[in-house]
Amino acid sequence: MASQTDYVTLISNDDFSFVVQRSAACISPAIRKMLDPQSMFMEAKTNTIRFDNFNALVLEKVCEYFYYNERNKDARDVPDPELPTELVLELLMAGDYLDC
Amino acid sequence: MAVVIPAGHSKTNIFKQGLNGADVDFDHTWQVLEGAFKEIHTKNASALSFEELYRNAYKIVLKKKGEELYNRVAQFEETWLGQTVRGDIVKNLSAPLMLADGTGRALATQTERRQAGEKFLKSLKGAWEDHQVCMGMLTDVLMYLDRVYCTDYRHPSIFAKSMGLFRDQILRTPVKPGMATLLQILTSIILDQIAMDRDGEAVDQFIIKSNVYMLEGLYESDQEVEDEKLYLRSFEVDFLRSSAEFYREEGESLLRESDAGTYCRHAKKRIDEENGRCRSMLSEATTQKIQRVVEDELIRHKMKGLIEMDTGVAHMVENDKFADLNLVFDLEARVDPKKPELTKAMQKIIMEMGTSINNNAIAASQAPAQASAADEGDDSKEKAKAGSAKAINQQTAAALKWVEEILALKDRFDHVTKVSFTSDQMVSTSINRSMADVINTFARGSEYISLFIDDNMKKGIKNKSEVEIDATLDKSITILRYLGDKDVFETYYKKHLCKRLLLSKSQSLDVEKQMISRMKIELGNSFTLKLEAMFKDMTLSEELTNGYRNHVKNLGDVDPQRVDLGINVLTAMTWPLEAFKGASDQHSDGNDSSRPQSQHVIFPPSIDRVRLGFERFYSDKHSGRKLTWQSNMGDADLKATFPRSKGGKPRTHDINCSTYAMLILLLFNDLPSDQTGPPASLSVEEIQARTNIPWNDLKRNLQSLAVAPKTRFLVKEPMSRDIKAGDVFSYNEGFKSEFIKIKVGVVSAGNKVEGDRERKETEKRNNDSRGFAVEAAVVRIMKQRKELPHAQLLTETLTQLSAQFKPDVGMIKKRIESLIEREYLERLDDAPVPAYRYLA
Repeated sequence: MASQTDYVTLISNDDFSFVVQRSAACISPAIRKMLDPQSMFMEAKTNTIRFDNFNALVLEKVCEYFYYNERNKDARDVPDPELPTELVLELLMAGDYLDC
Repeated sequence: MAVVIPAGHSKTNIFKQGLNGADVDFDHTWQVLEGAFKEIHTKNASALSFEELYRNAYKIVLKKKGEELYNRVAQFEETWLGQTVRGDIVKNLSAPLMLADGTGRALATQTERRQAGEKFLKSLKGAWEDHQVCMGMLTDVLMYLDRVYCTDYRHPSIFAKSMGLFRDQILRTPVKPGMATLLQILTSIILDQIAMDRDGEAVDQFIIKSNVYMLEGLYESDQEVEDEKLYLRSFEVDFLRSSAEFYREEGESLLRESDAGTYCRHAKKRIDEENGRCRSMLSEATTQKIQRVVEDELIRHKMKGLIEMDTGVAHMVENDKFADLNLVFDLEARVDPKKPELTKAMQKIIMEMGTSINNNAIAASQAPAQASAADEGDDSKEKAKAGSAKAINQQTAAALKWVEEILALKDRFDHVTKVSFTSDQMVSTSINRSMADVINTFARGSEYISLFIDDNMKKGIKNKSEVEIDATLDKSITILRYLGDKDVFETYYKKHLCKRLLLSKSQSLDVEKQMISRMKIELGNSFTLKLEAMFKDMTLSEELTNGYRNHVKNLGDVDPQRVDLGINVLTAMTWPLEAFKGASDQHSDGNDSSRPQSQHVIFPPSIDRVRLGFERFYSDKHSGRKLTWQSNMGDADLKATFPRSKGGKPRTHDINCSTYAMLILLLFNDLPSDQTGPPASLSVEEIQARTNIPWNDLKRNLQSLAVAPKTRFLVKEPMSRDIKAGDVFSYNEGFKSEFIKIKVGVVSAGNKVEGDRERKETEKRNNDSRGFAVEAAVVRIMKQRKELPHAQLLTETLTQLSAQFKPDVGMIKKRIESLIEREYLERLDDAPVPAYRYLA
């Protein structure tokens, strides 16, 4: 079983790697399950997830959201994150996919 | 981004549109998933990509093929479980185990059975754990299916579904057609293992616990209702039933074969064991239930038998087995906070022991009386007299013994309650009630208790420390508390106290007063009112005597020959003076008793002068009061000089004797004493004529003066023990004694058990006074209420009087009748129920 690192790598379908904090990424239940050392899948062993349905633009926004969420976890009246209009639909789908 | 847009039903359409372009081939995708599932089940998941599987499932769901996917997964699991897993488990099932009933067990030895069972349990546990892990992974991968499809269509989640499949495929399917299912086999194996454990054989607790854990994780239906766990529904029922059977049999055989103490210890051990078993092998949830089963079987249903065993509670009490009693108490306390069986048993034991004490006391007081009755038949009166005197002593001893034994009984049970019953409220109340019953069923209880106190006041407290005296007083009060007929006790106590005070028999007035103040606390003010008045009379009398002495001194009549007088003026209402009369009447012929004796006693002039002097003095101080002289209660100090014997000096003795004895002796003073002639003498008749002492008292006093060897001041002719008419007495010149001070004892001056006649009289008096008390209570109540139905009047009267005694209803009715006759009350004619009205 792979050791649990502090950072994990998320790779988009156009091969961009995003190294993010594990705790931030695990905001998504789907990602958490994928990285769960209890499950014996490849992702958990390599601490790397490849997303075949996100391109780098989307994944970048997703990672931004992870940090945005982590930063504002306990705060109130947080301003909405800025989202480029053209990405909104894809981000919506990503949110559904990742369950967050 | 759930914060912005929550995933919901209405949104899914958008996603589908967005994905329309990407073509999804269901069969192809499913093949990928199915392959991966197989890998997972064979523990080969490390090469698989979670994301890929997740994405595939996601796509299928988006394509609205969720239902198909769901069914495919279920089917896949069903096949997997039904074929691969079940096959493995059945392989581990040895033939005897399959029968799942007694015949299977009989076929193998215990060790074989245990090992085979453990093997089976192990394989089942393995299968279950694998299934859990795999299904965990599957569920993770199919998370999107669960989230979207199952939630929307209200299907059980994949995980729940697969657990249901495990239950159906593995546990509920018969091993072979027509044979037991694995669940039945599993249950019987676990029960068998538990039975082995109970017999003390070591079993693998962990493996059982794992299997129980599995049963707890499974439900009757796929809805997973909390109280429909397979464990609760199937296993626990069987477990409780078989345990009940086991303990029923064990309890019965134990009751037959061992003693109560062992039984209790065993039962306690079993309960603890079952607790531990629930923790280590089964579920905590069962603890309560199995406890109840064991308690039911080993305690509740057996308690009666246990208590009534030869070695049961009675035996334990007898042999002071406090630890065992404590066990019995613990056990019964478990099943019923009221502990009915134990209290019943204790009450019975106390009643038995108490009754035997009572019977002993009765036997002890009657046996000598019968003996004396037999003697009387022999016509030897003398012997009978001695016998009856002895009998009275013996009765007193019996009374003291009775009190001591009752106290010992109480102490004993107090100890038992404290040590064995943790001072339990219920038990001690019932024990107290039984003690009260014991004491109250004994008719002479009141008299005996009073006698006990009397004895202590006279002798018992001599040379004792204050603490010990306190303890004695406490003891007396303790018994007194139980006594129902407190008025009877009061009568006796008054009588005994009266004698103690007048005859100065009491060791310490302080202690007497303490006793009374204790009674006041315990029984209330009204109870001790008269007793206190008696003490007051005593103090007043002392002042009066001193006052009279000063008065005499001031008269200037300082006559050295004058007789000194000490007096006790007693209020007639307060003092039970009839007690003295009664005692002296006891053996009289009957014609004497009707006549008041004291007035007729003739005093010699020297004494009479003093008497009259005091009467004058008293009526000066308190006009309108009448003094009645109770000479039969007094005593006198005499200084007697006997003529010198040959060569000696004249001897002087201080003699202390009763007033009557003094009168008799003074008669001989006046006789001409002629040195040469025969001593002057008086016959019994002459003595009586000159003194007018009642025959009975006279006889007794003469006996002590002429018969008792130490105080033979008189010589009797003829010489015999008994005083008969015609006996002649003369002054005993040759009297010798080495003591200067001589006390003339009078027969039966102390407090003793009453004779039958006395008792009857006391009872009669008591009934009379109760009658008055009842009437007073009725009038008090009616005065307040004016009108009252009969039943209510009865209850109120009973409550009012309960502090003093328990009146019987018949007496109350009679009293009401008599009040109606005397026109205190009248019947209400128009009342629906019998009722009375108070006539002012």
